[in-house]
Amino acid sequence: MERVIVIGGGIAGMKTALDLNRRGIGVTIIEKENRLGGKVLGWHRLFPTFTPANEVVDTLKAEVASSEIDVRLGTCATALTEHSVTLSDGTVLDCDAVVLCSGFTLFDARIKEEYGYGIYDNVITSADLEEMFNQGRVGLKNGGRPRRIAFLHCVGSRDEKVCQRHCSKVCCVTGVKQAIEMKKLFPEADVFNFYMDIRMFGPGYEELYREAQQSYNIHFIRGRISEASPTIEGRLQIKAEDTLTGRPLKISVDMLVLLIGMRSNDDNASLAESAGLQLAQSGFMAPRDLFLSNVRSNRDGIFYAGTVTAPKSIGEVLNEGAAVADAVTEYLS
Amino acid sequence: MTMNFFAPFCIPFMVGAVVMAVALVVKYARWIYELPRADKKLMLHGIFTRRSLEAIWEVFRESLLHRRIFKVNPLLGYMHMSLAFGWFLLILTGWIEVVAYLGFTYVPLQGHVFFKYFATGLEEHKPVFNFLMDFFLLMVLSGVFLAWCKRLYSKAMGMRRTTRHVLGDRIALSALWFVFPLRLAAESLTCAIYGGGGFLTGSIGSWLSAHVGGAVLEALYEPSWWLYSISLGVFFVALPFSRYMHIFTEIPLIFLRRYGLHPREKESSFDNFEIQACSRCGICIDPCQLQSVLGINDVQSVYFLRDRRYKMLTLSVANDCLMCGRCETKCPVGINLNSLRQNSRDTMRNIPDESRYGYLASVDRSEGEGRVGYFAGCMTLLTPRTLSAMERIFEAAGEDVWWADRNGGVCCGRPLKLSGETDSAKKMMRYNKELFYKHNITTLVTSCPICLRVFKEEYALRGIEVLHHSEYILRLMRQGRLKVKADGGKFTYHDPCELGRGSGIYDEPRAVIEAVGELLEAEHSRENSFCCGASLANTVINDAQQLKIARSMAAEFAQTGADTVVTSCPLCKKTVTRGTTMPVKDLSEVVAEHLA
Amino acid sequence: MAAIEWGFSINRPRVIDVDRNNLRKSDEILLEMPELQSCIGCGACTASCTAGNLTNFNFRKVHTLVRRGEYQGAYEEMNKCMLCGKCRLLCPRGINTRGVVMLIKRKLGDF
Repeated sequence: MERVIVIGGGIAGMKTALDLNRRGIGVTIIEKENRLGGKVLGWHRLFPTFTPANEVVDTLKAEVASSEIDVRLGTCATALTEHSVTLSDGTVLDCDAVVLCSGFTLFDARIKEEYGYGIYDNVITSADLEEMFNQGRVGLKNGGRPRRIAFLHCVGSRDEKVCQRHCSKVCCVTGVKQAIEMKKLFPEADVFNFYMDIRMFGPGYEELYREAQQSYNIHFIRGRISEASPTIEGRLQIKAEDTLTGRPLKISVDMLVLLIGMRSNDDNASLAESAGLQLAQSGFMAPRDLFLSNVRSNRDGIFYAGTVTAPKSIGEVLNEGAAVADAVTEYLS
Repeated sequence: MTMNFFAPFCIPFMVGAVVMAVALVVKYARWIYELPRADKKLMLHGIFTRRSLEAIWEVFRESLLHRRIFKVNPLLGYMHMSLAFGWFLLILTGWIEVVAYLGFTYVPLQGHVFFKYFATGLEEHKPVFNFLMDFFLLMVLSGVFLAWCKRLYSKAMGMRRTTRHVLGDRIALSALWFVFPLRLAAESLTCAIYGGGGFLTGSIGSWLSAHVGGAVLEALYEPSWWLYSISLGVFFVALPFSRYMHIFTEIPLIFLRRYGLHPREKESSFDNFEIQACSRCGICIDPCQLQSVLGINDVQSVYFLRDRRYKMLTLSVANDCLMCGRCETKCPVGINLNSLRQNSRDTMRNIPDESRYGYLASVDRSEGEGRVGYFAGCMTLLTPRTLSAMERIFEAAGEDVWWADRNGGVCCGRPLKLSGETDSAKKMMRYNKELFYKHNITTLVTSCPICLRVFKEEYALRGIEVLHHSEYILRLMRQGRLKVKADGGKFTYHDPCELGRGSGIYDEPRAVIEAVGELLEAEHSRENSFCCGASLANTVINDAQQLKIARSMAAEFAQTGADTVVTSCPLCKKTVTRGTTMPVKDLSEVVAEHLA
Repeated sequence: MAAIEWGFSINRPRVIDVDRNNLRKSDEILLEMPELQSCIGCGACTASCTAGNLTNFNFRKVHTLVRRGEYQGAYEEMNKCMLCGKCRLLCPRGINTRGVVMLIKRKLGDF
């Protein structure tokens, strides 16, 4: 029986493995964490429908568990070719094809020091907020209820200063979704979203944006925050330019949420080198082309699915899992 | 015995010598006449002091022996020394030789220079002089040989690049290259016909007389002296207008410098001495990161000085410099390259309008009260980790602090000055100075080396001690007011240009780091440390180029095996962070994390 | 027309008339500093601006107007800048903002 190794046990990896397994192909998943699920495990509800994230992950996990997929947890791939994958403990697994589903890395918001993440108590990231939602403990560090909340878009995306030129695609709609969720939790609070551009590319996104404005009275301010600093009352003062009026703007808030972007994994470069794969300028893997071979790498027998090639929404990632299974089947026959 | 000291072939040499002498006298006289009053005063006050004696010693060391070039590059040092000191000894020994043969009688200049030609009728020979003259000639020739090699292949001399010269320089250079080989030829031919000479000219002479026919030797004899004289003449005429002006100009420069003269923020006559003392050796090219990282080849100090000297300086050359000072530390003539570039920019700036910065009046956003003032600096407002660390340090030391600009202040003025807007910068300096006095501080601490430098050099803050936070923190630690505990942390340190080369602060931050952990030095540190690339002095290079420099300089930190890069400048911190994946921290953060 | 300076103007049109504006200077500026075209108007420069904190100086607005051929007053506005360099540290498009200030001043100094 042919064997395919899927590197990464997030939603892309699980979907790929399931679709291959269904066609009678032997699959091994390699996951560096001690559980399957990847980043989506940390999310609470998914845009634009507020579907609980665990509905998606748990379904996939249950399907994997009841299948014959070989799952190896707590180990990662350090090198690969189309016929083998080397694990961090030195073992070499042989195979007939490899699908790289190793996903992305969240931007480290501490690098944008001027926003005060890791310095001031109530500066958090969008990922932190999802975790708070999951734990059911949303609020200020001192347990208080925020009266004013600011979201900042494009943290670690479209920013030459942190060497992340690309758009992370999903933060805009995440910001709108989270703003609505906060407004639902704290109806008395004012919510401000600071943005450079709002990119609502998917089905239902634009509607969600309009809903945030019309039904939830969320304020959208076109301007990038330049600095956050503490006030004497323990709040945060943020500075931006309200570019639509052309005047500098100052506002004190209780909580600042940074919508952090998706960046490429640090080990993409070494994996690419080991297998002779091409990297995009952004550091993500470059697929053979963006149209008919968008799940194929430049080398036969090595495939991609999910955010290893670029930031994508969950729906797109799952589609790629299905598409790559098809491409691998065609390759193996 | 009477000797005739004139032959027609001497004319090119004599003309050259006169032209050179007149040009030199006119130039120096004008420069000294045009010196600012204050500089003239300094000169007069210095002449009859021991500074003049010190200057003479320095002239010997630097103009003849080229000690500083030796330090940078021994081979290059030997090349310069053999040319300069060898030639000097040839002239000196030549004069003594003439005296030894003829006693103290008047001999015209060409008689000394072409003594071998005129002295063929001497009855006795003094072998000591024959040997010495040949030995020094050989020494100079070895230097010429190295100069040829340097032109052909600069890497052989330990230089990645050598200077590209202008036409005048090329003429002078070619003439200089031929002077000594032609002298060797002329003297050897003379020995071949008349005998005499030392181990070099004498041996070649006897070989020639044995192997070449007498008629041929006779035919070559006069032309060889003509060619030697012409090459000398051409070189002398070209000298005052080429880079070889440095041979003489370094001497008055050394004296004037000893008297306390230096380039000012506005161009002045003294600058001429510095500019024309540049030998265009090109030692400044290799340290330049714009060259080594970005491949920019026409803006380095040597080209800047050349362009300024010949009045063809363009704004893009003047502005395209990080003013990191790496070349200045290497310059064998010790030229104040940054000051000269800054005052060039001053002449190219826009005329500032008088009402500019009128809005500064009555602004005061400072807070707190204390004898110690803290000026964060504009950039530090973008590195709040530094700010909050300083806050914790002040608190731990029990210091009452007046916060000058935490809520936004007025720039220190140095960025404007670096861009050439000298007069406008003064307005900011005046504003800040008044603010400091108004709040009665006695110590001014800043986290920004750019501010530090201008506070120290230009503000003339009487009664207020200016400290960088690294100095201040070390002082608190030594006074026992700040207790830190060491852990096993491994740090490496990046010297900010303005703090290290600019203000000479290398040891204080290192002492602080060593108090909290282990310090691992990068390959280039202290005087040799690299610039991060984001220097405010450069308004020409773009973001991608800045990033390229940051990445190239930060690569060294990973090799040290340290966990954390420490620096003490907000601008460097921001820039180094872009260039590496290692954590980059300000010195104050490291201290705040290790408070006992 | 300009012989009498009233100190204010009532009939200066509000519309940016690109057809009538002379874009030569603007083209020259963009030729020397093409990256200025990549500004997405996020306003981070203006938000952090040391001078903009104390006056109505708005770097983003001034250079945007200059690019549209509206040069009047641009030189005087740019003269409010202290060249402190904060904006260059923030610009997400990596624009050499200090270079832009110097360039606009140089090109429009005679306006």
